[in-house]
Amino acid sequence: MNGYAAWAHPQLAAQVLRPRRDGCSEIALRVESLHDARQVLWLEQRIRALPGVRRVAIDRPAQRVRVVWDAQRTPLPALLESFAAADCPAQPLPRDSIDDARAREQHQALKHLLVAGMCSMQVMTYAFVIYVGVVDFVDFSTRSLFRWLGLLTTLPVVFYSAQPFFAGAVRELRGRRLGINLPVALAVLLVFLASGFNTLRGSGEIYFDSVTMFVFLLLAGRYVELRSRHRSGALGDAAIDAAPLLAQRRRADGELETVPAIALLPGDRVHIAEGGTVPADGVLESAGAQVDEALLSGESRPVRRARGQRLVAGSVLLSGPAELRVEHSGATTVAARLGALATRARQARSLIAPSDREIGRFVARVLVLTALTALGWLLVDPSRAFEAAVAVLVVACPCSFALARPAALTRALGVLAARGVLVTDGKALDTLARVDYALFDKTGTLGVPQLDRRAIEPLRGDTPEHVLQLADALAHESSHPLARALADAARQQALPLQARSVRVHAGAGISGEVDGRMLRLGRADFALAPAGHPLPADADALVLADADGAIAAFHLAEQPRAGARRLLDTLRADGIAIAIASGDHESRVGALADRLDVADRYARQSPDDKLARLQAAHAEGRITLAVGDGSNDAPLLAGADVSAALASGTELAQSHADLLLLDGHLGSLADARAIARQLRQVTRRGRRWSLWYNLAAVPFAAFGLVTPWLAAIGMSLSSLLVVLYALRVGNTGAVAPADVPGPPLRPRELHA
Amino acid sequence: MNILLVLIPVTSLIVGVGVWLFFWAVNHQQFDDLDSPASLPLLDDDQPVPASPAEPHPTDPP
Repeated sequence: MNGYAAWAHPQLAAQVLRPRRDGCSEIALRVESLHDARQVLWLEQRIRALPGVRRVAIDRPAQRVRVVWDAQRTPLPALLESFAAADCPAQPLPRDSIDDARAREQHQALKHLLVAGMCSMQVMTYAFVIYVGVVDFVDFSTRSLFRWLGLLTTLPVVFYSAQPFFAGAVRELRGRRLGINLPVALAVLLVFLASGFNTLRGSGEIYFDSVTMFVFLLLAGRYVELRSRHRSGALGDAAIDAAPLLAQRRRADGELETVPAIALLPGDRVHIAEGGTVPADGVLESAGAQVDEALLSGESRPVRRARGQRLVAGSVLLSGPAELRVEHSGATTVAARLGALATRARQARSLIAPSDREIGRFVARVLVLTALTALGWLLVDPSRAFEAAVAVLVVACPCSFALARPAALTRALGVLAARGVLVTDGKALDTLARVDYALFDKTGTLGVPQLDRRAIEPLRGDTPEHVLQLADALAHESSHPLARALADAARQQALPLQARSVRVHAGAGISGEVDGRMLRLGRADFALAPAGHPLPADADALVLADADGAIAAFHLAEQPRAGARRLLDTLRADGIAIAIASGDHESRVGALADRLDVADRYARQSPDDKLARLQAAHAEGRITLAVGDGSNDAPLLAGADVSAALASGTELAQSHADLLLLDGHLGSLADARAIARQLRQVTRRGRRWSLWYNLAAVPFAAFGLVTPWLAAIGMSLSSLLVVLYALRVGNTGAVAPADVPGPPLRPRELHA
Repeated sequence: MNILLVLIPVTSLIVGVGVWLFFWAVNHQQFDDLDSPASLPLLDDDQPVPASPAEPHPTDPP
């Protein structure tokens, strides 16, 4: 458990602890293994039993635990050790991930809803007395009393519960756009003011029952949407936290150890492989390197950095491995930048505000229609103008129209996150549903390379162990799947050698100095280029060579990745053209393509060839999907209409992909497509329903056949229905029910 | 009709008390987790509740 001792360092602790006014500290932790509710309760009891712990809140869908405790009485390492002792290891999260907004928003919404519900029932009883007419003839002053009671009971609904609508309307007006809150706020205010005026006057119609019920039902619809949004958010957070940024720290004895990036301290030396993300601000200590700072600056051209220059956390290393001496860590700005990917994924969720212009046009038409109705009735029968205008305003309000897409989309994103698909672009799902051409990378995407010990062929009499050791020194510096497979096979080696002046040649191989010799590892033509030797017979092997010729050949076997078959079959069944493009040799591409029944295959493709192929398909009017992994694919992923990357691959590939498959399972992409299509269908149908409903109801309202209370019921029920319908996404047989996430779980919080 | 003068304040009072109780419950996180407490009665009584030494729980996966 000594791994936790480092968290005693004040600089590290400052990154994760949030001090509270009462002297306690607050921390957010990510926990891996919370399987059932019993375990949640048990863990909570154990943590609460620690001295000084004030509050424990476990959010199971988000896999997060928040603890408020007195750090004087139980130090942070002791707290973390208690989690580990409970078989539930916890990883501290940066302190800016402690977020109260969600709980507060939900509490507010629940209170608004309840006040509206209680008051509307009360108002209804008062209104009923007046409707039935018992008091009308008996006692005029009693009738007036009930009207006043209605007014008083409506006050909390209008001035407390309806606040979200008024606040939203003000926001929309400030932003100079027309949104759905404006007609709602207008209707509530108009009806309330008119009824209040009639109450004061003692004659004329009152609509307190309509207005309270309208507010209550609308709030109910929004509350359902809010809960679904928060649950999706929690699932998304869990997926995002699951891939924390790791760093390779060099220990005093020169060995590398893997630590979370937030655990880095100034002065630490960090090794970054090609394609890796720079984990902290620092000074480059190795020879020059190319970095991509696009995530930070938006500048997409690679930048050259020489020895002694600074690298910024969050940028991506494009060429060669690098050594970095950490200068800053802990500054919140850096921590925030490190989360660039997470932020992007979260933005996808906030970007789901529906097409504003469409709703703006809709609202404008509603307002015009209302004005026309009022005008028409003023000419015919002024006494009915107000009632008819209000009925039109309420009936035609495009609430359900506006709710259809966000409700369905949040639900879809949540379901996908639970299945290990992280969507970084809200529009990607729309495109995914329409895709008709899919281009796959082979190595590391469709196939998983594996190196067997027996497949190592030393060509100059070395032992297999020795050549593997030499090759591993180079392979360690690259994030290419083949290099990873080699490094995996060499993991048991006693003493890894260290390579110097390493260069990675994209699509070809790696060169560097190991043990005083210049070595090259990669495709045979690359590795043997300086020696000028003829290629060996088995040209698809990975070759290790020096200036004198080949040293060893590695015959890597390739297995189709889990779910690859299912994904390709699903895509084919939908009539999507599938192609494989790989930088690898023909025979290896052919072998895998045969196993997966793909006829359209291209071997020995450079990254530019792949991109050209994709662009050719795009030019034919096809909608393209690119699936890849590895830094070779970055331009491919960026160039496709929609792209997916396996998140086990390099961070570089991730940063250009719209969809990230987190669990390395290709089948989840088939699920994603099924859900994307369902989303399109549900959204369309929801919008069509609400349009037809509006078209059918508006004429009745305009001719004064719909009373305001009937309009209020119809309108709020329609939006509630659309929200409930949207929650069907991910529920039906379109996707295997086995992976459907467990019952919804919410954060729990108890006081110690 | 004089009974109204008693009953109406009484109903208003009940509504007020109901709203107050509900606000109290919301503010004390009673609505945050609607699932886990359901399994509270299923927990075994002989569990090491207060600050027991770290012994693995039978239902915990390794």
